[in-house]
Amino acid sequence: MSAGARAGGWLARHLRATPTLLRVGFASMVAYRAEMVVWILTASLPLVMLALWNAAAADGPVSGFGQAEFARYFTATLVVRQLTGAWVVWELNHQVRTGALSPQLLRPVHPLAQNLAETAAAVPFRLVVLAPILALLLAWRPDIAWLPSPTQALLGLLSVVLAFLLSWLVQAIFGMLAFWLEQSLGLFSLWFAAYAVLGGYFLPVALLPGPVREAAAWLPFQATLATPVEVLLGLRDDPVHAVLVQLLWVVLALGTCAGMWRRGLVRYGAVGA
Amino acid sequence: MPEAPLPAMRRGPARWISVLAALGRVALMNAAAYRASFVVDVLVGAVASVGVVLPLLFVYEHAGSVAGWTLHQALLVTAFFLVLQGLVGLLVEPNLGAVVEGVRSGSLDYLVLKPVDAQLVASLQRVAPAKAWDVLAGLVVGAWALAHLPPPTWQGALLALGLLLAGLAAIYGVWVLVICTSFWFVRVDNLRFLLTAALDAGRWPVGVYRGWVRLLLTVVVPVALVTSFPAMALLGTARPGTVLHALVVAGGLLWASRLTWRGALRHYTSASS
Repeated sequence: MSAGARAGGWLARHLRATPTLLRVGFASMVAYRAEMVVWILTASLPLVMLALWNAAAADGPVSGFGQAEFARYFTATLVVRQLTGAWVVWELNHQVRTGALSPQLLRPVHPLAQNLAETAAAVPFRLVVLAPILALLLAWRPDIAWLPSPTQALLGLLSVVLAFLLSWLVQAIFGMLAFWLEQSLGLFSLWFAAYAVLGGYFLPVALLPGPVREAAAWLPFQATLATPVEVLLGLRDDPVHAVLVQLLWVVLALGTCAGMWRRGLVRYGAVGA
Repeated sequence: MPEAPLPAMRRGPARWISVLAALGRVALMNAAAYRASFVVDVLVGAVASVGVVLPLLFVYEHAGSVAGWTLHQALLVTAFFLVLQGLVGLLVEPNLGAVVEGVRSGSLDYLVLKPVDAQLVASLQRVAPAKAWDVLAGLVVGAWALAHLPPPTWQGALLALGLLLAGLAAIYGVWVLVICTSFWFVRVDNLRFLLTAALDAGRWPVGVYRGWVRLLLTVVVPVALVTSFPAMALLGTARPGTVLHALVVAGGLLWASRLTWRGALRHYTSASS
């Protein structure tokens, strides 16, 4: 069998398995619903940040952001952060350390593909939990509501999907570091800190001091959060360019991910698991 | 565990001191057993502390005063927040997390059988020394802020210390209340993450929040008692009503936590029986 045919067979098998994987993922979400709700609610930092910026803008707009703009920005941040949430870095760390990965490797489905399907299956659940929070925010400040133009909506959706993939890939990459380091959650925390400041989580990127903002434009952090938020809200002059940059980061991360998996598995086997 | 002199042999205050000393020794030995992860924890803690201060600096780049607080006044609140976060991470979280695990696995039996107060031991059996970093960072930020403010009076400093202690007692009370739910609903590990997320809101001056959110932060999860109130005492803006409020809330929560802990222990049937 040629390599091409083998890859084709691999892809076809995974495509066939996808609906089942999604169903299983959703079922496990429902089984652990209470835990899921709590996890979702812990990502409340955008609201804490909103309170600060809201007070800062009480006497007038801050660099073009009024109170309504801040409310809209951090609401969108809260939603996009939820939709792009993953937990593969914790999962891989646990599975590599305890050896729980071994039985998974025997299955015909790639362990990471299964995790990706579970992560995707959690999205509708996250939306349900978010709904009451969004309703409260809307009651507090009705001018949050906005209707994106069809182009904004379409590009925004694409941007959210790319951000979802990139966030998951980054977590997978950090998770796979566990093949070499035993424990990579600390390193991931460092990534998260940079993401919070440079990726638009703590504040709109436009409000970063000049040199920091320029440096941030060359880093992958915005592509996981700020880009979809800004495209959805129509804050970008160049939405198509922004989405293409995201695509570039996804391709890069996918390549890194594939390479690391191949080499990491060799390491994993060598440990004698 | 090494043989420690039996605390039950002594009476009165000497007994309590020897219990505390024994607990401290064992807790430190537990923490030192994982050195590599200790180093990573310290590093991550350093970055995280910077992450707490950074948004504040960005906000004051654009605004001279937020909710009536200047940068250095707000930094004082953040300093108290870092101290709180450090103490919670150092003492509260590891211990009460262990209680939840003990209820689930039944290992709480060993704790309840000891001839000392179970709540005392359950609250002090472990420490996570790496989290002490936050306390240190809090002291540094506090010194920095105070250097730019008129020096506080000694009455103000004393009042700040008193309010800080009352606030810490209140937070401890809330934490015990949350943990006690694990005696009825076994899987509540996540609830403590939710509590941590709620405490996050205490990093800004309480004036930033309005309406029921402020009520929440001063009564239900009274993090403002630990962060904003002592800062107000240092700045000389605390009123008698502030002090009374802090004492009532702290006393009420401590009392409720003691009652609930007793009730929960009566309800505890051990997982093994």
